[in-house]
Amino acid sequence: MSSATINPEMESRYHSKLNGDSALVAGMLVLLVSVELFVIGKILLATWEIASNFFYLYVIFFGLIIGVETIGCLRVRDSIKKHMFEFTYYD
Amino acid sequence: MTESESASLVKTLRPFHVWALGVGIVLVGEYMGWNFTVAKGGVLGSLLAMLVAGTMYVIISLCASELGSATKLAGGPYDWARLFIGPGAAASVGLAVYMEYIALEAADAIVVAFIASEVFPELQVFPVTLLVIALLTFINYRGVVAALTLNFVLTMIAFIAIVVFFFGTAFGVVDIHPEYLFQGAMPNGMIGLFAALQFGPWFYLGIEGAAMCAEECKHPSRAVPLGQQAGMITLLIGAAMTLYLCAVLIPADMLGVSVYPLFEAAQNSGIFIFIALLGLGTLLTCLASANGCVCDSSRSWFALSRDHYVSSWFSAVHPRYNTPYRAVIFTMPVAIGFAFSGFLDQVITFSIVSGLLCYVLIPFALIRFRNLFPETTSKVRPFAGPLQPYIAYFAIVIAITILSTLFWGYKYNLIFGFVFYGVAYFYFNRKHKTSKAENNWVEMGWPEPKGSENARIGKEVIGVEFSDD
Repeated sequence: MSSATINPEMESRYHSKLNGDSALVAGMLVLLVSVELFVIGKILLATWEIASNFFYLYVIFFGLIIGVETIGCLRVRDSIKKHMFEFTYYD
Repeated sequence: MTESESASLVKTLRPFHVWALGVGIVLVGEYMGWNFTVAKGGVLGSLLAMLVAGTMYVIISLCASELGSATKLAGGPYDWARLFIGPGAAASVGLAVYMEYIALEAADAIVVAFIASEVFPELQVFPVTLLVIALLTFINYRGVVAALTLNFVLTMIAFIAIVVFFFGTAFGVVDIHPEYLFQGAMPNGMIGLFAALQFGPWFYLGIEGAAMCAEECKHPSRAVPLGQQAGMITLLIGAAMTLYLCAVLIPADMLGVSVYPLFEAAQNSGIFIFIALLGLGTLLTCLASANGCVCDSSRSWFALSRDHYVSSWFSAVHPRYNTPYRAVIFTMPVAIGFAFSGFLDQVITFSIVSGLLCYVLIPFALIRFRNLFPETTSKVRPFAGPLQPYIAYFAIVIAITILSTLFWGYKYNLIFGFVFYGVAYFYFNRKHKTSKAENNWVEMGWPEPKGSENARIGKEVIGVEFSDD
């Protein structure tokens, strides 16, 4: 879709819906980090006598999950923002 | 051309349908099956398996988002392998996806029948299993929107049941047993920690299938990445909640052999509302999984048929419902055959081996895709995943590591899987190298693949025979 056909009302509606998508995913990410920290923390604290020898494994993979997923979600947002008028995502 | 041959798949699905397809198939693995990690590696082994498999699936889902939104084809992993690797790999992946989902459908239908027969003892397992498979096949025959909207409702209820139970437990409504965490921490030592990895995929097995509805999405370049990533986050949340709930409510030695661990954890809480919610969730998640499996396995068979890997008779689309109805109906006898083979545990293990084969080839397809088409344009790559291709290589390493752990207990399944897919690879590679299919890059609106060598491979993969003249 060319920029000539994008009117202010449409632009406002699209940005509002994009923000809705972003808020949903951001909320889920916050819940994910909170739940994972809670669960990993509870289990490692209860088993620290055993887990202290290799706790770094949990830290590394927790970091990878949260890091890669967060960057992935940011890329999804960028992609939607870049193409939303071209492919009329929200009509 | 007949009416069914000229019809095409309807493009109506939205991101929540993609979420429903992906999470619907997988959530059953959090209600049952994942707990075998505890039998191998204790609570710490299970936690590590959840995190390692979670890392692999986050990467796989990013690869699937990029490939699915780029190709927009119903075959999913099969089409990615066909376009970017070759006909042998394509046939192997197509069959692996088909087997993975159809075996899971059979297992889900049997569990639904078992639960129904426990609630209503007058019911028999055999006819109820048949009824479940027939009913879900009919729903998928009538239309993908209805099938996936139903999946959304079933899956959401099952997921909310876990969330409510978790927060009820975390806020002290339920009396927990933290001592179970230490008692069952690591019964088999470091080797158990490693062996537990083989059941880690249960938490997320099949999420890549969400991208298989790309051809039926209204806006695949938005719906696939958004639905797939939201689905992946949902599963990660569900996995962590499930592990914690079961680990503090069921002793590790009993948890490792439990059939319905979440339901059992709810029973141990002694609170009726949680027992009812998790009981309902167990039933609904099995139905949702079987329903999603019919959808994905039929699309894989449809795609194989459309490219003449199997009889092209199956590639017809219903003129009224716009579904690949022959491929959908064909799932029924195969699922029934699996269900009553009498080797259900072997069937499920074969499903995992098939899935892991896909997890090696999906990132590899992405690496090839990036090499063949490096440009990021709206047409070729509307969504470009981050940190590629490095994380794709990492996912391959994790998938091979998990495959290797299957030698603990499932050596013959693994060997059978390699032989089966190896034969498929060489048979279809030879068959399709001599066929005369036309290159479809232009039809897809894509440029020729990068480089002369790559262009040659690009033509080979869709089956054009080369000669010196």
